[in-house]
Amino acid sequence: MKPFSIINAGVGGQGVVRMSNILGEACALTGKEVRSGELHGLSQRSGSIVIHQRIGDGAVSPLIPFGEADVIVALEPMEALRYLYFLKPGGLVITNTELTHPPGESEDLVNGRIERYISYEEVIGTIKEEAEVVEIDALEIANEAGNPLTVNVVMVGALAASEGFPLDRDAVVEAMTSTVPPKAVDVNLKAFELGSEAFKSKS
Amino acid sequence: MAFKDVIEKEEKDAYLLTNEAVVRAALESDVKVVSFYPGSPQTEVLDTFEKVLPQFDDLRMEIATNEKVALETVAGASFVGMRSLTSMKSVGTNVASDSLYSLAYTGVKGGCVVLIADDPYCHSSQSEQDGRWFGYTAYLPMLEPSDPQEMADMVRLSFELSEKYRTMVLIRTTTRVNHQSGIVRLGPMERTPFERISWKENRHSFRTVGSAARAAKAELLEKMDRLKAELGRSDLNRTEHFNGKELTQVDGTDGLPKVGVISSGVCYRYALESLMDLEQEAAVLKLGVLNPLPEELIAEFISGLDKVIVVEELFPYIENTVTMIAKDTNPSIEIVGKRSGHFSEMLEYNVPIVIKVIADAVGKEPPFDHMAHFERMTEKASILPPRLPVFCAGCPHRATFTSFRRAVGGQDEVFYANDIGCYSMACLEPVNWSDSMIAMGASMGIAAGVQYVAKEKVIAMMGDSTTFHAGLTGIANAVHNDDDITLFIMDNSVTAMTGQQSNPAAPEVAGHTPGKGIDIEGMLRGLGVEKIVNIDSYDIGKNIKLIREAVDHEGVSAIISRQECALYHFRNYRRAGGKHVPFFVDKEKCDRMYNCVKDFMCPAISIDPEDGKARIAPEICVGCGVCSKLCGKQAIISTATLKGGENRAYIEVSDYEELVRATEVDE
Ligand SMILES: Cc1ncc(C[n+]2csc(CCOP(=O)(O)OP(=O)(O)O)c2C)c(N)n1
Ligand code: SF4
Repeated sequence: MKPFSIINAGVGGQGVVRMSNILGEACALTGKEVRSGELHGLSQRSGSIVIHQRIGDGAVSPLIPFGEADVIVALEPMEALRYLYFLKPGGLVITNTELTHPPGESEDLVNGRIERYISYEEVIGTIKEEAEVVEIDALEIANEAGNPLTVNVVMVGALAASEGFPLDRDAVVEAMTSTVPPKAVDVNLKAFELGSEAFKSKS
Repeated sequence: MAFKDVIEKEEKDAYLLTNEAVVRAALESDVKVVSFYPGSPQTEVLDTFEKVLPQFDDLRMEIATNEKVALETVAGASFVGMRSLTSMKSVGTNVASDSLYSLAYTGVKGGCVVLIADDPYCHSSQSEQDGRWFGYTAYLPMLEPSDPQEMADMVRLSFELSEKYRTMVLIRTTTRVNHQSGIVRLGPMERTPFERISWKENRHSFRTVGSAARAAKAELLEKMDRLKAELGRSDLNRTEHFNGKELTQVDGTDGLPKVGVISSGVCYRYALESLMDLEQEAAVLKLGVLNPLPEELIAEFISGLDKVIVVEELFPYIENTVTMIAKDTNPSIEIVGKRSGHFSEMLEYNVPIVIKVIADAVGKEPPFDHMAHFERMTEKASILPPRLPVFCAGCPHRATFTSFRRAVGGQDEVFYANDIGCYSMACLEPVNWSDSMIAMGASMGIAAGVQYVAKEKVIAMMGDSTTFHAGLTGIANAVHNDDDITLFIMDNSVTAMTGQQSNPAAPEVAGHTPGKGIDIEGMLRGLGVEKIVNIDSYDIGKNIKLIREAVDHEGVSAIISRQECALYHFRNYRRAGGKHVPFFVDKEKCDRMYNCVKDFMCPAISIDPEDGKARIAPEICVGCGVCSKLCGKQAIISTATLKGGENRAYIEVSDYEELVRATEVDE
């Protein structure tokens, strides 16, 4: 029995940890087996972040073996490609569409080591060669929901609408709302719902 | 959420990080005194205790100057009779080890538990150490969990064992256990009030030297024998049968297959998943006790096997014992491990590594070629720019390096002894320079040696936390010997790299309550440093000259570069109601010189693909204003000017109110 395996990826400061905590919390609420592997350590907020999550029976080890993730949820598209080696052949990538260029890339650009920034099309095109891709303009949706900081919740909403997602929607919603202050509940709910709708309309 | 679950009264299932499970189980065990020095991968133990501290008036906590002091503190509390706990990263144990070995001899009274967190792969450490030898060489019992639930169980048990045997109990982890989350069953939270204990009524000698030490050692050996007898057959070490589909715990070895696996910690999980993927029947021995290793149980386990695969990272610690036992009990057994060349003593493992070895040992093909897939996909990802850690937006270290490099004229002119902290990132782009970087506080000692031999001037650099951790001895040494060294103290108020914990220079202690902040300048004067230069890290215009002044001084000179860690400062600032006032690039003035990008690498600054001019992301910029000082065209301007405010960096606490007013105009 293989667990449902999710790679949560993004850039430090985008809320990748919260994204995975919502899913983990939902497992605790519904009595599902879950095991996650992450790395905490460096404070600097602009590094690359990846959290492995395995849900359901057979969640034995905290790390997803290369090529065995069912889905990658990425808050930044380059990070989806960076961790593509974890995705099973033909697996699903749900990614935010906004690129965050690392400072080193700008440094290379002004020093003439590269001619231009990598483009979204290059990144997404490469991912599409190997995976099924659903692109979500999460920032626009988060703004529509009322708070640009809910980009991660939009992406959880999208993930929850995907086929084979092993958790009960209500449990995810409960896990999500129980961790925010009361006044933020509505915005988070809206971001979640809009994320789900966006996924359905794109897939 | 984790914080809520750590203090939850109800006994239920919670999703916890292993480091949080430590705190939960320790609180359930009525721990009374805890002390820590931060260090990955165990920092969240400290951070979680600090978060819950206000909820527990029956708990005392310190953020110690270093791991040795933390260990001594919890040992002292235990001497008088209270339960205590500390944890440290692998290399932190080196610092604490002098006392650790003696404490094994003296023993303790109140339950005293010490976590040692190793970091195979050096995710965030200077060396790949194997902390299992501390248990072995100090004669201290050592347990190893493989996940958060086991951690919670082992912490509770360790307090009991510690009191029963009057010994400290060590729990060893690796990064993938500390940073693993999973479901933990919360136990009852029964705390007792904090009541001081009379030493007079409980007097007992905790000293070790000479004849007392010899007597203690004899007692220690006897303790280990008793522990071996009690723990060897306990549930901590499990014999299991995997039949190709399911795993069952068994008693004894009757009817077990001829192929066996011995493992512990997270490696046990990799081994189990590998067996499942291979549908390979095997006998499994899961060790929860690393010291004393259950030799009898191992002997029994391997006696009927043809082949045993030992899965463990780093040293062949378990494998050596298995090899030794096999000589007597089963000389013909094939031992698959590091000595056989199957596993490496380097790096951390994962399922792809472990499944390959097990498949090879049993003559099967893994169902999927992980490595080929990995290589093909990383090839695809090679079009990506790397995303390495850089100084945060507004980091004072970035500014200090900007002036430091200009002041000394670059790499060819001086020897630069770096130390351990956020400023260690000088090793990476864009500074890309550190002539040495060894261990916390080592820069002063290294500098002392270099200044005798090298022709060039020697510069050492330490953060405030590192200075107190292990730097003071080096400074005293240099002053006393009249060495010729310039020391940079990067005084950013906190221990930043590990998450901005307070340190002795900070005006607060654990739990963010007010405490005594030590005046670094006064301290250096007291130590006899004659030339001290204070600089404001952000003031790069003035600093070049001031730094040169210190470097030109013969003897020990110090440059104290002060400005709070930006992450810490602006978090407090937002909590106080402050709003960021970012800078922006006046496109009319920008002439694409890129002084704000080159050698600076601020995460807020990028190039606008439309016109090739610099652009500042307002959601990332904190408004430190340093880049504006680098721009020859004065093209970088505070957004405050758009609202009638001044063109300057808004960074002072006193500016908060004014700032909020300025930004609230027309919003
Ligand atoms: C012996 C030891 N303990 C702990 C650590 C973990 N550690 C790495 S950097 C650091 C912080 C140093 O703080 P400071 O010198 O003030 O520099 P800052 O990060 O604030 O710039 C710590 C505690 C370590 N590397 N070695
Ligand atoms: S955490 Fe603080 S000291 Fe470290 S890089 Fe960020 S701002 Fe600088």
